[in-house]
Amino acid sequence: MTSVTAPDTVSTSPSPSAHARPPHRAERGRVASRALLYAFLIALLAGFALPLLWALSASFKSRGDIFSYPPQPLPLSGTLANYRGLLDGYPFWTWLLTSTVVALISTVAAVGLCSLAGFAFAKYRFRGQHVLFNVMFSSLAVPFAVIVVPLFIMVAKAHLTTPYFALVVPWVAPAFGIFMMRQFVEQSVPDALLDAARVDGCTEFGLFRRVVFPLLRPALGALGVWSFLTSYNSLLWPLIVVSDPGDYTLPMGLQVVFGATGRQYDLVLAGSVLAVVPSLLVFYVLRKQLLEGLTAGAVKS
Amino acid sequence: MTHPVATPARTQRRTARAANKAKDPAERSWWSRHQRSLAPYVFISPFYLLYGLFLLVPVVVGLYLSCTEWAGLGTPRWVGLRNYRDLLTDPSFWTAVSNTALYVVFTLCVVVPAALLIAQALNTRGLRGRDLFRMTYFMPVVISPIVITLVFGLIFDKDYGLINATLRAVFGFGGVDWLGEPAWARVTVVILVLWRWTGYLTIFFLAGLQNVPRELYEAAAIDGAGPVRRFWDVTLPALRPVTAFIAVTVLVNTAQIFDEPFLLTQGGPGESTLSVAMFVFRAGFQRQQLGYASAAGVLLFVAVFVLGQLAMRALGVGRSAR
Repeated sequence: MTSVTAPDTVSTSPSPSAHARPPHRAERGRVASRALLYAFLIALLAGFALPLLWALSASFKSRGDIFSYPPQPLPLSGTLANYRGLLDGYPFWTWLLTSTVVALISTVAAVGLCSLAGFAFAKYRFRGQHVLFNVMFSSLAVPFAVIVVPLFIMVAKAHLTTPYFALVVPWVAPAFGIFMMRQFVEQSVPDALLDAARVDGCTEFGLFRRVVFPLLRPALGALGVWSFLTSYNSLLWPLIVVSDPGDYTLPMGLQVVFGATGRQYDLVLAGSVLAVVPSLLVFYVLRKQLLEGLTAGAVKS
Repeated sequence: MTHPVATPARTQRRTARAANKAKDPAERSWWSRHQRSLAPYVFISPFYLLYGLFLLVPVVVGLYLSCTEWAGLGTPRWVGLRNYRDLLTDPSFWTAVSNTALYVVFTLCVVVPAALLIAQALNTRGLRGRDLFRMTYFMPVVISPIVITLVFGLIFDKDYGLINATLRAVFGFGGVDWLGEPAWARVTVVILVLWRWTGYLTIFFLAGLQNVPRELYEAAAIDGAGPVRRFWDVTLPALRPVTAFIAVTVLVNTAQIFDEPFLLTQGGPGESTLSVAMFVFRAGFQRQQLGYASAAGVLLFVAVFVLGQLAMRALGVGRSAR
């Protein structure tokens, strides 16, 4: 784990450039540049957060008020009618359940398979390792567009278009996840610990289960939240492969609502707000692990 | 599973069991004698099974289909390289290629530098609220693309959207048809790309910046290097590996861009925001030209592969993979 907050501890010492100049001028320049820096960062914060807050506010407005002029920042005559209309008129909870269950199954399977493979690549020396690793890694460069047509045909011909197969199995061992786990095993599992466990009579799978897996917990969080979000938010593949309305995922459902209401925003915004809750929740709980996990591989190599 | 490391008690138990086992090595099974050399293959086998079934087979089938004409029913009819010839003379395909090129160039030339700039700002020593800033900038990636595009549709609406209303209030002019006019539609898609991906790339640069040894900056400062000079001579070289990683990832991913134009404008108006991935989707699943779609997919694959290899060669990534 890289320590993210380390620079804070030395904040009281003057910046290197301050040595060269007279102290009072440097101090004033420092204050001014600090103010500018915060202004820049806060403006960006607004740029990223405002559209989302605007949509949140609009979801409580009646259809006529969403596009009122001049724009109304707060839903003054706030109403829950959009939420009620959505939940009464559409199988929203079914969509949410399908998406969540699919995402959870994908996540559990991906975390298990990727950490197992990552462990093998990090801690064993075996014939063909180099080639196998490169084969695995190069699969990252295969565009979805080249496999989408044949994959759809295969899945459809095999009558496996149920979301619990089609949205899970083909994506359950992403090369990116294996790469990430390999980096983590190398960093956080000492060889001596593995050897000690072997001397104690631990089987190789037992090593993984009892020694490696527990040590990897922060990384598993990172991979877990990444897989969950990827699955939960995916749209293109479900759109292609899922045809039974009873199997629709949440993003597909939102499209249906938007289309059915004649591209009006009232109901679909309520749905969007509800749909975002699980992803933001997962992200919020595991944010540190996710950001550190994502960057671990990139920074090291 | 709750104990992070083997506790002494567990070790003792294991030692006892090991002693039991060690008594009769001859009775150990074939598996337990070979497990150490076979285990890695077993551990990676699920990946290669899925890889074969859901990647290799589709790629091969895709290559075959790209030389056929097929609407999904009956048997595909072999047409040789005709699909490729048709593609190269199809103006729609070239529109998709040039739009995709625009998205790629924009991402590399605007989004990546913007992410670096923001990371540099966030890396300032003694900055308060760094995590809040970082998390908020990152948030768009977490949110479902369909939700994001709905939000964008809402605020970029021609008549009553927030953007035009603000423009009208401030400048007295706000009639920009953000989604309905070809040039503006491209601008809107590009703004969406910027909004969605900048924060994501920022965390990579930030992690890279935090790994730069502080002594390098101090040494440069002693040598009389100003902030700009330090950025060019210390920060950029130190960030080379991260930048290379980001550039290649961005190149490969943006070449496959689908969500943003598909959801925001459906490729329109006309074909002004159509991307190559959307072209494949449209040919395959809206027009039932499965062979034609496969051929376009193969061309995209070749382009991504060649560009990715060139970029990796130029930037020197991938050598670290043992």
